[in-house]
Amino acid sequence: MRCMVVVATAALAAGTLAHAQQSSKERLDAFAKLPDWSGLWEPNVFVGEGIGQSLSASGAQAGMTILGAKVPFNAEWQAKFDAAKKAADAAAAADPNHPPAPAYNNCGSPPFIMNMMSPAIYQWRITPEETTIVDTINGIRHIYTDGRPHPPGDELWPTRTGDSIGHWDGDTLVVDTVAIKPDLLLGGFTSIRMSDQLHFEERMRLVGKNELQDEFTLHDPAALTAPFKVTFSFSRVTDTNRMIDETECDSTTDRNPVVNGRFTFENR
Amino acid sequence: MKHPNTLVALLAALITGSALAHHSAAMFDAAKEVTLAGTVKEFQWMSPHCWIQLLVPNPAQPSAAPVEWGIEMDNPLGLSRHGWKPGSLKPGDKIVVKARPLRDGSPGGQVVSVTTADGKPIGDTAEVTR
Repeated sequence: MRCMVVVATAALAAGTLAHAQQSSKERLDAFAKLPDWSGLWEPNVFVGEGIGQSLSASGAQAGMTILGAKVPFNAEWQAKFDAAKKAADAAAAADPNHPPAPAYNNCGSPPFIMNMMSPAIYQWRITPEETTIVDTINGIRHIYTDGRPHPPGDELWPTRTGDSIGHWDGDTLVVDTVAIKPDLLLGGFTSIRMSDQLHFEERMRLVGKNELQDEFTLHDPAALTAPFKVTFSFSRVTDTNRMIDETECDSTTDRNPVVNGRFTFENR
Repeated sequence: MKHPNTLVALLAALITGSALAHHSAAMFDAAKEVTLAGTVKEFQWMSPHCWIQLLVPNPAQPSAAPVEWGIEMDNPLGLSRHGWKPGSLKPGDKIVVKARPLRDGSPGGQVVSVTTADGKPIGDTAEVTR
């Protein structure tokens, strides 16, 4: 009897191992098909220069711009933008010593798509089922590549990073993001709310060994006259090899606390 | 400039007054730069920003108590990429800081560069603005 138990246990273990080995091989094969984007990356444009620049350096290009290109608002939303910009400019001018603070937590990752353009370091963690983008200001994006669709509408609600699904088109990761809190940075850390139809498409790929490109198209049929496409890129970081949290904010460390909606400066 | 993005960030700062993730830099006057020769009271190595508390004597009033300036810097990760370490500055160190001052005239500013009293950069380069 004892011998039978040993044999049965051994057979079970062998079967389990054989299954595990087979699964491991399949999994290794799945990983082998994925591109290698390991390493650390940082965006070549930052908040303030990328999205949110309401005027070019010459002042000639009025309007909300992303990397210098004007967002094609329709008349209704251009008027909303103009009003928001006027209010933001007035708020900034009212007290230049205490700039207006954003509506979001400034000690964390900003809203999409600004969260891809912060002066931070980023990593792409690629698995067959999901690509996860993490950064040093507490940003995490989950891009599911296991074939799932977006959740049905009654199971979606707006979040800072939205719901992202993707698939691989060769070595390009094609990403579709919906259910984004539609606050885009306007400038001076003030955001403009776009419509609930805001939707992003992205194509991420390596361009050479040291450049990772993200081409995104912004769709908002309620607010834009046409989809808006822009491409930005990340450079490989070579002067550090660590991800370190940059947002360790609390009352003892944050010397620029927000008071009455405005940044302050504590000399202590 | 060690880091290629420094130029981009500086350009961004010139255009918008801010390349910071944490807060707007509009409180600093980007058109001005002050040079502060003083003694380190404290070097605060912490996120979201590192700080130098610098005691700056007034040459016109050598008998008066020095003024304590708060100099805001990048976060530890950013500074470490410029060769800085938690022990790069110690209380009592004599240094020279260039900074963009607060618009309201109070003794505070955003760092531009830091050197020893005899002009040697601390870290890889004197300039530490990101």
